[in-house]
Amino acid sequence: MQRTILFAKTYGILVVTVLLFVVLALTTEGFFTDRNMRNILDQQSGVLIAACFMTMAIIAGNFDISVGAVYVATPLVALLVENATGSIALGILAGLGAGAVMGAINGIAVTRLKVNSFIATLATSFVFFGTGYLVSDRSIMRPETDGWRDLARTRIFELTSATWIAIAVVILASVLLTRTRFGRNVYATGANREAARLAGVATDRVQMITFVLLAGAAALAGILGSSRAISAQPSDDFSFIFAVLTAVIVGGTSIAGGAGAIWRTVTAVFFLAFLSNGFNLHQIDPIWQRLIEGFVILIAVSIDAWSQRRSG
Amino acid sequence: MTTRVDTLLTLSGVGKTFGGTVALEGIDLSIETGKVHAFVGENGAGKSTLGKLIVGVHAPSAGRIALDGAEVHFASPAQALDHGLVGISQELSLMPQRTVLDNIALGREVMRGPFVDARATRAAVQAVMDRYDMQVDLDARVGDIPVVEQQKVEILRALSRDARLIVFDEPTARLPSDQVAPLLALVRQLAGAGKAVIYVSHFLEEILEATDTVTILRNGRHIRTGPTASETHETLVEGVTGSVLGEQYPEITAPDAAQAPVLSVRGLSRPGVFENVSFDIRPGEIVGLAGLVGSGRSEIARAILGADPATGEIRFNGGDTGRSIAARLAAGMAMIPENRREQGLMIDRPIVENVTLSHLRRFSGALGLDRRRERAEVTQQCTATGLKYNSLDDPAAALSGGNQQKILFARAALGDPALLIADEPTRGVDVGAKRSIYDLIAGLAARGKAILLISSELEEILGLSHRVIVVSRGRVAGELEGADLTESALMTAAFSGT
Repeated sequence: MQRTILFAKTYGILVVTVLLFVVLALTTEGFFTDRNMRNILDQQSGVLIAACFMTMAIIAGNFDISVGAVYVATPLVALLVENATGSIALGILAGLGAGAVMGAINGIAVTRLKVNSFIATLATSFVFFGTGYLVSDRSIMRPETDGWRDLARTRIFELTSATWIAIAVVILASVLLTRTRFGRNVYATGANREAARLAGVATDRVQMITFVLLAGAAALAGILGSSRAISAQPSDDFSFIFAVLTAVIVGGTSIAGGAGAIWRTVTAVFFLAFLSNGFNLHQIDPIWQRLIEGFVILIAVSIDAWSQRRSG
Repeated sequence: MTTRVDTLLTLSGVGKTFGGTVALEGIDLSIETGKVHAFVGENGAGKSTLGKLIVGVHAPSAGRIALDGAEVHFASPAQALDHGLVGISQELSLMPQRTVLDNIALGREVMRGPFVDARATRAAVQAVMDRYDMQVDLDARVGDIPVVEQQKVEILRALSRDARLIVFDEPTARLPSDQVAPLLALVRQLAGAGKAVIYVSHFLEEILEATDTVTILRNGRHIRTGPTASETHETLVEGVTGSVLGEQYPEITAPDAAQAPVLSVRGLSRPGVFENVSFDIRPGEIVGLAGLVGSGRSEIARAILGADPATGEIRFNGGDTGRSIAARLAAGMAMIPENRREQGLMIDRPIVENVTLSHLRRFSGALGLDRRRERAEVTQQCTATGLKYNSLDDPAAALSGGNQQKILFARAALGDPALLIADEPTRGVDVGAKRSIYDLIAGLAARGKAILLISSELEEILGLSHRVIVVSRGRVAGELEGADLTESALMTAAFSGT
């Protein structure tokens, strides 16, 4: 019984995703084609980039709602600088820098002011959304340079540059989490903060870094998004954070902290993408997609809660 | 006075299996009114399970239970309660936000029509308190009163339901040491009032002190039942572990008095917690830090490690220590914290990660963690520490209390520390595993490590320490050594400031 639960928790998402893939490939015209696969990869690149570091932040014991706002606000900062200087590099730097600052604000609120991370980042979400309206003067911003659109859309070996960047980020984040001292400290901080602190882990610094990395990743995703759309506009749109959180939770990362894996989050991103792609190809009403996605989250969280109870 | 003895409860051939695991087998027992009957055994011996069978938490898989000679079957604790059998467990089942009165009266409120008659309810509860001479402030919030008073509330709740048998399951496990005696008095008082009391515990001293009859359980089997008066500490240990234990404490080698101290603490203070604490520890010396719970002993230890802020001077190996915990660990300190589950272990993480948590830097290179070398060193250290496990990838939670504690010893030893602070190193550990932990401490001292030992168990302090510093109300109340180091001297000093 215990083993079954453990197996379901560890590999369940992989089994389900492969099954879904095989079923769709066999039954659905236009699913398993080069073009469709390339499109899915390209479309998911932003979510992948942010979800890796969201996994890390949640393992360290924190939630970050503000990722949606960072995703909206930072490309506006980037384009503001790009418009003013005509330099793509300076624009990107400004966007990523703004993301890092936003992450640091979250980190300070959680580690210094000791505000619950969910509440703290809900509050900063409004600050960051507001920042987006301020820097854009409430209007759509477009890049001055032609090169901006190539950031996400350059083709390298058939795949877009956004896809390649996402692959690089996934690998980097996985290595960081599983192969380094920092990664171990992330798990320790989430598993038992006091024990980690007494064992010499700088738990505040670890949390701070996870917030900065996550907001930086969200900024990167936002900048790539603005390149794909050749524009950016201010909004109060929380949909990006919902997509990211859904992937992390369906991937079985424990919201209690201390457990989880990036490869499972990545698998879950594709599970959700296949699901929605399959619905689209079958021309099923998007409302049904929502309903099913909701149930998928509930199932994933129930498995987590159930196994917690079993082992506790 | 007559010596009439009434048998309240008879168990014959009682057994319990959980899934495929046999927790209890073939238990024959009788419980008498007016007596305190102890169930003793190691963790997993089945003593708590037996208590739970009696109060209806579990149903027996085999055998029969008879109350006043008539066979009974309880499907739930509520049914057992209807027959006057009540359990008081380690985790109290009170509502901390409500008053003492509300808690005692819960479900037994005197009603007038659809409304609670507050005055009559209060009077009824007061009558119970008077009858058993147990007074608690009825208007206090339960969450605000000490644990021993909370236990009193649970007992009163049981008594107000006309309890005939009360089962205490490890009632002192969460109790500060200075509140154990009042609880034991309470237990005696219940027996004196004609109630049957079952006292489940693995604290042998308490059993010897407060019970009339003792039943020893081992691996789910009934070893023997007899009058407590005919047992001693040694016979109980023998019965519980199934082997004759040699000396309880290992031989302690005398430290070299000529060596310079490893640790020098001067004027260490933390406002409201402890004040002007000064002492030295030399290499190879085991210094006990004794005192009542709340005297500041654990807080002093934490300040030495850098976990809490404090003023004063801490010199380590003749030098400064640095401020952060990480710096002090790197300088050669190590600590086994007071509460291994809350402060020591990542209970759901693999054993290997738990052991190396403080030492990741040494396994870190340009290519990240060298996990092969990490496993090799952990394997070696676990052998040296006597830690038994199936796989290093198992979570810490899969191990027994004693082996979990050894994870923390392995972690400490991996750093080859010059000073080990061991705070309650044997809490919640089986009798058999205790000795191996004592051996580890003595072994480290013999290899020239300085040890600061904190324990609520006086015997442990007396049995292991070369020298004892007694704290009372945050101040050093005495330093005892050699012939002066006696239990009574220690207790006198511990209570001196209070």
